[in-house]
Amino acid sequence: MKMLLKLAFRNVFRYRRRTVITFSAISYGLGLMAVGICLYNGVNTHAMDSIINTQTAHLKILAPGYFEEKDEVPLEFTIDEPQRIKSLLKENKDIKGIESRILFQASIISGMEELPCLGVAIEPEVDPLVFDIKDSIKDGRFLEPSEPKIILGSTLARDLGLEVGDDCVLRMFLSTEDFIWNALDLEITGIAHTENPTVNRQTVFIPLSLAQEALSLDNRVTELAVRIEDRNRLSDVRESIQSRLATLGTDYEVVSFKEYASDFVELMKMRSRVQVLIPLMMILIATLGIVNTMLMAVLERTREIGMLAAMGMRKMEVMLVFVFEGAIIGLFGSLAACAIGGLGGWYLEAKGFSLSFLGEEITDMLSFLPMEVFRGDLTAGTLLFTLVLGIVVSILASLYPAYKAVKLDPIQALRHVG
Amino acid sequence: MSIAKLENVHKVYHIGKIDFPALRGIAFSIDEGEFLSIAGPSGSGKTTVLNLLGCLDKPSRGKIFLEDKDVTALPTSKLADVRRKNIGFVFQTFNLIPVLTAMENVEFPLILGGLHDSKERHRLTEEILTEVGLKDFFHRRPNEMSGGQQQRVAVARALVKRPKLVLADEPTANLDSVTGEEILELMLGLNQKTSTTFVFSTHDKMVMDFARRIIRLRDGKIESDQKVNTK
Ligand SMILES: Nc1ncnc2c1ncn2[C@@H]1O[C@H](COP(=O)(O)OP(=O)(O)OP(=O)(O)O)[C@@H](O)[C@H]1O
Ligand SMILES: [Mg+2]
Repeated sequence: MKMLLKLAFRNVFRYRRRTVITFSAISYGLGLMAVGICLYNGVNTHAMDSIINTQTAHLKILAPGYFEEKDEVPLEFTIDEPQRIKSLLKENKDIKGIESRILFQASIISGMEELPCLGVAIEPEVDPLVFDIKDSIKDGRFLEPSEPKIILGSTLARDLGLEVGDDCVLRMFLSTEDFIWNALDLEITGIAHTENPTVNRQTVFIPLSLAQEALSLDNRVTELAVRIEDRNRLSDVRESIQSRLATLGTDYEVVSFKEYASDFVELMKMRSRVQVLIPLMMILIATLGIVNTMLMAVLERTREIGMLAAMGMRKMEVMLVFVFEGAIIGLFGSLAACAIGGLGGWYLEAKGFSLSFLGEEITDMLSFLPMEVFRGDLTAGTLLFTLVLGIVVSILASLYPAYKAVKLDPIQALRHVG
Repeated sequence: MSIAKLENVHKVYHIGKIDFPALRGIAFSIDEGEFLSIAGPSGSGKTTVLNLLGCLDKPSRGKIFLEDKDVTALPTSKLADVRRKNIGFVFQTFNLIPVLTAMENVEFPLILGGLHDSKERHRLTEEILTEVGLKDFFHRRPNEMSGGQQQRVAVARALVKRPKLVLADEPTANLDSVTGEEILELMLGLNQKTSTTFVFSTHDKMVMDFARRIIRLRDGKIESDQKVNTK
């Protein structure tokens, strides 16, 4: 056995060209695959985080009927006693924050220009517990409760040529069908530049009390946004909230971000199906590289194989020499692949890569994506997977050439002029 | 005592649909300690005879005995065991494992034979390599040695496990005549010293002169089988 390993080892270093080709096939193929997995994981988690942090929170408490119509942001399905629900859930240790919010259709008017937008009325003192808007204020400052001021998404502000300190008119639609609206003259107190381009492009924030008055909603709100401490406990927390709500005799619904952003979740699933193909192709390339070069090796060493067989070496042992050769190259190739994957993944995690080099027009077109900078997520699992996969693949890929080698008739092999 | 015996051996090669009779009724017996040459023109069947003696191939008809044991019907894996234990080979070219040193090449059959004591292995290896005159070449790789030196290593490798029978198919064909003679002298010396049986094939008159017995083949048949008293 030791002898076979020694033979395999020496052969790896003797047939340099083959070794280099195989080694590169594995290290590049699997290295890129590892980088791809890092990016994929990163995009998945960061995209979801981005949506949670800027749009959906973890859970939303909604009035019955609202969820089906949520894309219209209707005002007729409201929660009438948000304060009561809040105090009801105050004891729940899993909840980090609950915010009363109103979403409404609106538009911003600046001079002659008017752009449609989504209005979000927030409780400035609670919002930072639930969302990331406060941290994303690029210019100016966050809202104070009840002040007649507004925060604009950064792209929206840019398109309207508005800056902190400027005044603008917020037109708020009470009902889309009848075109009943109310307008407020507001000073811009801050510009929000979140990681989520959708929010930057179309959202404005005003204090809750201002919106309740302007929309004649009294104390009512359209949703309660809930952030929980531990996302792994999502379904537990949701159930406990649901059962607490039942004690009030209301039939409010609790909806998780997965349902709220179901379009996006679907998109991700579809994408993941497409993206299994990429690693599969990388593996295929690596496999073909190994099979090809090992077959070449078998051909080149036909006489040697014949001689080994003549000396009474068993078929199994001849096979093992070739399988060991594959495994050794595979081991080094996979280590290199891990290095490539590790470096690439680390870079993507630390720096990310931004689509901004494509220019403003294209990034605007891609702004349906919930982020601008694609960040990787490098895990030990990914590297371990790459390592194991590389070794397994190279062993499997050398089995066929090894089998070919022992199929050779020693007499024919010895006659072989080579 | 007979160390190997062929009884009415036929060998037919199948080339596509055509059957080609390479051996047509060969019979002879080899005694222990013989130094035997199989001679004959190209295509007469020398290699085929050696392959059959070496248990690398099976006859189409007839029987083969090694030390009175019928090996004709043994399965391929058993034949490999017989080769591993009892037979040493010296081939014409590409004899050695290129990635191993002279010592490791010679050691190889001992490892295959299951000799686990590495001290003993090294002792046997060094002894035989010294015997073939390669005392200073223990750690050379094949490509760092001349053809004659490589063939000496091959002889040492064939002999190290003390086989019953050493088979050499045209061992000198790739060497110049002086080196070829040296190899033959070496083999003859070892034959006399260890009384190992040697069978080698050749079509070279000068090489034949070393043999104590010459079997001449022609068209797959034995033309003559004579003992010679030379040198
Ligand atoms: N595997 C094979 N398939 C078909 N024919 C073969 C095969 N091996 C040998 N032969 C034929 O059998 C005959 C005997 O071949 P063999 O190799 O035994 O001759 P040889 O005496 O060793 O010749 P040489 O001196 O050229 O080595 C030749 O005519 C050869 O063409
Ligand atoms: Mg021949």
